[in-house]
Amino acid sequence: MARLRRARRRALAAAGAALPLAILLTGCGGSTGITAGPLQTSISGTFANLYVLQQAEQGNPRPSLRSLHTRASCQRGTPATPQDGSGNWLCLITYEIAGPGYPVIAKYKVDVQTDGCYAADGDGPASVNGSPTITGPHYVQLVNPLSLIDGCFDIA
Amino acid sequence: MIAVTEAAPVVEAHQVTKWFGETTALDQVDLTVPPGVVHGLLGPNGAGKTTLLSALFGLVLPDEGTLRLFGRTRAEAGAGWLDGVGGFVETPRFYPYLTGRQNLAVLAGLDGGGAGSLIDQAIESAGLASARRQKVRGYSLGMRQRLGLAAAMLRRPRLLILDEPANGMDPAGIRDLRAALRRLARNGLTVLLSSHDMAQVEEICDSVTVLHHGRVVFAGGLSVMRAEAPEPVWRLNTTDDAAAVEAARHLTGVKASAHDEGGLVVYAAQDRLDAYVLQLGRDGVALRGLQLEVTPLESLFFQLTGDPAPPGPPPAITEES
Amino acid sequence: MTLAAGRWPVYAAPAAGERRSGALVVYRLELLKISRMIQVRTMAVLGIIGPFLAVAVLRVQSATPGDTAFGQWVHESGLAIPMVVLGFGAPWVGPVLVAVVAGDIFSSEDRFGTWKTILTRSRSRGQLFAGKALAALTFAIALMVLLTVTDLVAGLAAGTQPVVGLGGQLVRAGPAAGLVALSYLSDLPPLLGFTALAVMLSVISRNSVVGIGGPIVITLVLQVVTLISLPAWAQMALISTPFQAWHGFWAQPAFYGEFLWGLVTAAAWFVICGVVSWLVFRRRVIGVAS
Repeated sequence: MARLRRARRRALAAAGAALPLAILLTGCGGSTGITAGPLQTSISGTFANLYVLQQAEQGNPRPSLRSLHTRASCQRGTPATPQDGSGNWLCLITYEIAGPGYPVIAKYKVDVQTDGCYAADGDGPASVNGSPTITGPHYVQLVNPLSLIDGCFDIA
Repeated sequence: MIAVTEAAPVVEAHQVTKWFGETTALDQVDLTVPPGVVHGLLGPNGAGKTTLLSALFGLVLPDEGTLRLFGRTRAEAGAGWLDGVGGFVETPRFYPYLTGRQNLAVLAGLDGGGAGSLIDQAIESAGLASARRQKVRGYSLGMRQRLGLAAAMLRRPRLLILDEPANGMDPAGIRDLRAALRRLARNGLTVLLSSHDMAQVEEICDSVTVLHHGRVVFAGGLSVMRAEAPEPVWRLNTTDDAAAVEAARHLTGVKASAHDEGGLVVYAAQDRLDAYVLQLGRDGVALRGLQLEVTPLESLFFQLTGDPAPPGPPPAITEES
Repeated sequence: MTLAAGRWPVYAAPAAGERRSGALVVYRLELLKISRMIQVRTMAVLGIIGPFLAVAVLRVQSATPGDTAFGQWVHESGLAIPMVVLGFGAPWVGPVLVAVVAGDIFSSEDRFGTWKTILTRSRSRGQLFAGKALAALTFAIALMVLLTVTDLVAGLAAGTQPVVGLGGQLVRAGPAAGLVALSYLSDLPPLLGFTALAVMLSVISRNSVVGIGGPIVITLVLQVVTLISLPAWAQMALISTPFQAWHGFWAQPAFYGEFLWGLVTAAAWFVICGVVSWLVFRRRVIGVAS
């Protein structure tokens, strides 16, 4: 009688331990939630806000967010790798500062973590995100908001 | 003698059974303790005494059978199961980093009521007044037993359950404990104590239950037990052992044989022994030493629990009328 | 004085009202014991001076912590500092500190052999369990509140400049302070889930090493697991994920999906661990060698 109880308890414990293991092993059980769509939406919006901030800090006239028309195109690794998951992504952010005929493309090497947060390292053009600092009023050195972009998007 | 009107038993165990895996610790144990008595729970080590007492305290839940304290089962009583019940199982354990007094304060806090006001009184009565500010990790075994008794009395019990309370006490302490329990029983407290030593139990208990391998092998008053008991065993040292053995052959009710280590082992009731000693004197054999080795009840106890035979070789059967 | 000569009390029935508040009696005693533990007092001191120390350290050096969100802004925004502390420490500082108390509160009685001492008083097993569990949870809540307040105050002391959020937006000091507080407090549900986990390990193992070490090991393992690309639903089921759910509060537009899923996950871990602990404890054999 006691033996039955103990056997049942052991079975429950084994099931309880096996469940998280099963979850881990079925790694390919669905999307990680990190795909091009959410990343592009997040980084383009964040870039726009930071661009406005950068211009304001440098004492330049502040463009309106809408006039920037930012849009992003992101790719994970090579075209052959699955476009779903954390790791190294490359994002090209297109925006307009002098009207629709003159788009500017900013390049970012984006390291995306599994929780949907990313750190985008500016990779050109140099005047936009090449330098880690910018010069503010009274020649104070400030952090260049576009040099390193931290952002997060929803993976749930 | 059975009273015409029986008071409700304080402890009532009925067909209690407990297995631990393959081992049967308790096998259909019945135990009844009427109010106001000192009842002994006897048995060799491993007989199930601690398991039974643990079951009474709710530390162990029996697989079969019912347990009643003051007429209520654990299910009926709920959180009030141990109201009026105090005591301890195995050596009492306390928080070693707290002093004796602080430990009692924690336990009194758990009990609620006015238990806190009794702490100093209990410490003094337990003889620990000088050690109360000492951390329990420095207590000896005997001191811990006393603190356990104090902790039990804080609950103002009507039933005291003690597991081998004389363990670790010196003979003076044991005598003192015996006297204290006797006095408490006279004032109406019911005591249930366990022991593996019949001799200790003999002098304090009114009735006993003997356990062996989880089974009850005897339950009843000590007078009943004495009536069933064989003769006590004595050790004698004489000037002429051979003659003494010879003399015993001519006496009824006396069995004597030589002991390996010298002297005699004699099985005889008190009055037959007296006659024997007088006879030895008449025969010119002087007595150098006389000692009671095993009491009658101890003898019976050994028989009931199948322990190795009492000291001394068994005497040869003498056909004496 | 001899035992025989001692004045022993006579029997008296307990007062009627005492029974109902049984668990609270145990709760108060356990809180008292916790507050006297040297580890807890050390944690309280570190919790108060730690954040100010972090501010000082970050201010002294010219480099910025680049690995965490808000790291690059620590010199320009005082309130970025508590966010850096949270981002860096949240997944493991809380669980480890809580495990020291919750992983020991049950198994300490096994260590001292005192279960049979306290179970033979006027408190049922249920009352003892509830009182101890509540005390462990109270400690977790108190720890969280302390860290929130001191980190927020340290951040405000460091500066009240606007903070750049995770959507590139500028957040002024007032709303930023509110977001900092909310971010910290959003870690309370998973912390309570972790408390239940520590209690469960300590009840099952009857061993403080497992009770305290177990959650710490689990935390480390989960940190490694989060590096693996798991499907989104699996991530949400881990007890460590909700500690970072505050990311959504700082995004633009803010999203709360991860936080809400985190509540569900934390509640599930809390309930499961709590129920298992009680079932194991309820009918356990105390003392007698089985």
